[in-house]
Amino acid sequence: MTFPENPPSIGMTEWLDDFLLRSVLAGLIMVVIAAPMGCLMVWQRLAFLSDTLGHAAVFGVGIGLMLQVVPIFGVLAVALLIVFSLSRVSNFNSALSETTLAIISHTGLAGGIILVGLLPAQAVNLESILFGDLLATTATDLLHMLVTTVVLLVLLVHHWRAFVALSVSREIAQAEGVEVRKLQFLMYAMIALLVAVMMQVMGVLLIAAMLVIPTTSARLLSRGPEQMVALSALYGLGALAGGMTSSYHFDWQTGPAIVVSASALLLATLALSRVLRNQPR
Amino acid sequence: MSDDLLLRARDVSYGIGGRQILDCVSFELGPSQITTIIGPNGAGKSTLANIVTGLISNFEGEIERRPGMRIGFLPQKVYVNTLMPLTVERLLRLTRNPGAGEIDHALAQTEVGYLKQRQVRSLSEGELKRVLLARTTLGNPDLIVLDEPTSGVDVTGEIRMYELIGELRSQLQCAVLLVSHDLHLVMSQTDQVLCLNQHLCCSGLPESVSKHPEYLALFGQKAADSIAIYTHHHDHLHDVSGEPAEHRHD
Repeated sequence: MTFPENPPSIGMTEWLDDFLLRSVLAGLIMVVIAAPMGCLMVWQRLAFLSDTLGHAAVFGVGIGLMLQVVPIFGVLAVALLIVFSLSRVSNFNSALSETTLAIISHTGLAGGIILVGLLPAQAVNLESILFGDLLATTATDLLHMLVTTVVLLVLLVHHWRAFVALSVSREIAQAEGVEVRKLQFLMYAMIALLVAVMMQVMGVLLIAAMLVIPTTSARLLSRGPEQMVALSALYGLGALAGGMTSSYHFDWQTGPAIVVSASALLLATLALSRVLRNQPR
Repeated sequence: MSDDLLLRARDVSYGIGGRQILDCVSFELGPSQITTIIGPNGAGKSTLANIVTGLISNFEGEIERRPGMRIGFLPQKVYVNTLMPLTVERLLRLTRNPGAGEIDHALAQTEVGYLKQRQVRSLSEGELKRVLLARTTLGNPDLIVLDEPTSGVDVTGEIRMYELIGELRSQLQCAVLLVSHDLHLVMSQTDQVLCLNQHLCCSGLPESVSKHPEYLALFGQKAADSIAIYTHHHDHLHDVSGEPAEHRHD
């Protein structure tokens, strides 16, 4: 969605009424939680999992609407089901197979499109599932995102050392008392929760991009895991600012504009790190 | 369990997917003792190491450990996450919180103090093995389990690695359980050899194991000869060129 010519009802007294403020807040919340979650996912080669969950979430939306419950519950149910089956079948000594993820992704998307097709045409907007609608963030969306983010942050802080150990080496972590299976499942479940809640506003594509692209930029300049998380958040902020500004000035769609800004920052960082590397130390 | 024992394994069996990997293996580990597990590929060496460290728990039989025993472990395949920015120092702090002095000391012991601030992903395989060996010594372990610590290390590095392991044993007063497929280099510092091929073929001092018929059947006469040559070479009982004729069986 682009910025409307005449923004609807900007009530300056009720500051949460401002659609711009709500979308900026939503973006900020996303950046805060995408940084640590994205780092963990990139480290554990799970970048594609958010894509898979997001695509399969279309199926969840369909089910939610068919059963006439709030779509987010359908999405969460499907995402958790996938995560649970993955934790059962996947070989815990190796990363999830990209083939498995791709199959689930495509099947979920296809099944979801069929379900959605059976529903009345106005019931669901496929485009908004995929691309989201940051500028249409409601106060309820914000509340959902905020609660989810707080829950995830608490879990992250509590298990951070173990999560990092698991990412560095599953074998070492396990040998030194980290409950690898439990922790791995917890992490999948956290990703499921993240994607299910964030996709309401961000759309599948934006959330997947925000988990991976700023993180990759940060990796080029970091010396330690925590530094990479902090830099990821900064890159996320940069992408958010760049995306919203260009969306405002050039009338670009907001979600894609954020993704493109994130990628532009990545390219700039790649160039910068190449220059730095070629300099004598 | 008596005080002069660190660990006792009794009739340990383990199978996965209908395939028997270990069959009634029994052995004991004493304090400050170097034990080497040898055996062909697929003999269950790593499985046994994983059972000793507690990584595998759904085995049959019994493992008795001295209460409060601390284990340092170097797994066979350590997949180093190249996607992660991580200094050597941070790698040593991964699951524990050793002091700066302890980290410096551990790295110095395996002669890699200069790597402390390097990124783990930039290390060579030999450097990484030494860093991981240093890691196993943190927290004063009673036993360090090393699963093929020299894979990916060149021959000179390999000899030095075994010397380092011997030095660590005397400095830390800890027992060492070593999994190895390089037969002749391992032997010299070893107190006990466990020759494994799903079941325990034979065990004991290196010399006696290398003469055991089951050992010879597994590894052949050539391997047995090279062990004999190496031990004698090491003990300087003969000229460097001298063939230790009394150990030749052919």
